[in-house]
Amino acid sequence: MFKRSVTQKVVVANAAGLHARPCLAIVNTVRRFKSRVEIRTDREVVDANEILQLMSLGAAEGTELVLTATGPDAQQVIAALVDLFANHFGLY
Amino acid sequence: MLQLARVVNGVITRNVESDGNVYVYVNPSEAERKYLAETFKLDEHTLNSALDPDEQGRMEFEPEHVAIIFKRPHNYSSEEEFVFRVTSAGLFLFQDKLIVILSESVPMFEGKAFTRISSLQELVLKIVYSSIAHFVGHLKVINAVSESLEDQINTSMQNKYLLDLFSLEKSLVYYLNAINSNSKLIERLKLSAAKIGFTAENIEFIDDLMIENSQCYEQASIYSNILASMMDARASIVSNNLNWLMKTLTIITIAIMLPTLVVSIFSMNVEFPGRTHPSMFWIVLFFATVSVFMVRIVWLWKRW
Repeated sequence: MFKRSVTQKVVVANAAGLHARPCLAIVNTVRRFKSRVEIRTDREVVDANEILQLMSLGAAEGTELVLTATGPDAQQVIAALVDLFANHFGLY
Repeated sequence: MLQLARVVNGVITRNVESDGNVYVYVNPSEAERKYLAETFKLDEHTLNSALDPDEQGRMEFEPEHVAIIFKRPHNYSSEEEFVFRVTSAGLFLFQDKLIVILSESVPMFEGKAFTRISSLQELVLKIVYSSIAHFVGHLKVINAVSESLEDQINTSMQNKYLLDLFSLEKSLVYYLNAINSNSKLIERLKLSAAKIGFTAENIEFIDDLMIENSQCYEQASIYSNILASMMDARASIVSNNLNWLMKTLTIITIAIMLPTLVVSIFSMNVEFPGRTHPSMFWIVLFFATVSVFMVRIVWLWKRW
């Protein structure tokens, strides 16, 4: 079956970067959907469903990340993640 | 680094240029510390305590201000390999101003809790509240990381994930100590409410802080107990995984060893019956194959 793939660039706006709590917020968001999401920096690619991988990413403030979702609800998961990044991961 | 904010008529305005009554110093330089000690009469020892991660939470009354040292989680970075540390912060509350001393940059006065601030006293309580919320957030992360590590350990033969779990266990000990220290501080805040100038509403909020902090402590305590009690079991799983691998390798070795023995016997440079038989190659191959099946039969019979 054809799997839809959606890609979107986001920038880490948090002063502390992609630290512990944002990583958990990303994992919790991705787990609400069926699609598989990868996050790519200029150095590596990690599975957005794996908190261990996300926390090792060490993306600082201003880092550009490429989100790629593959699956039936790819569009929705990307929209939810973009919203999460824009709202500072719901921390404040 | 100094950031100025202003609390006027219940509203906090961040990053003001002048006329601020909230001074946030992030990792103050030597010159800034000297300025603070000379201008605002901050005790040098208390000022250093605010920047010392090993300092316990406490409160001290000075002639012109009250100094509050509280614990907060250290910003986690990927280099720390799952060790979540704690740090200290200082609040110096004067009649007309509040000086906040932080060892690292954290977003201050963000979120719903800071939308309405009636006084500097209330701001102090909300800063302590944000620290408790930060601890709770990190505890959730520790729990998620611990679950993820457990999944990895189920199939792992390395110590790496076990060592990461030890790091989490150590982090929880730091957190328990820090949260406990904050609980003592909150109790003291309540006992000194009149002296600090807390209103009835503020005291109600302190009660909420006590409940939140004790829940946070219990959560950390439960996670710590679970991690500690299951550590031996997880070490056994890793050891068991390694044993399974060794068993598989042994099966392969024995399965190869017996046919090799058969072929070796027939390869000896001595005379034996039927050496020149035209089908001798296939006969040797037959015995070698039979030996493999024999190993298999013994294996099943012994239920290894």
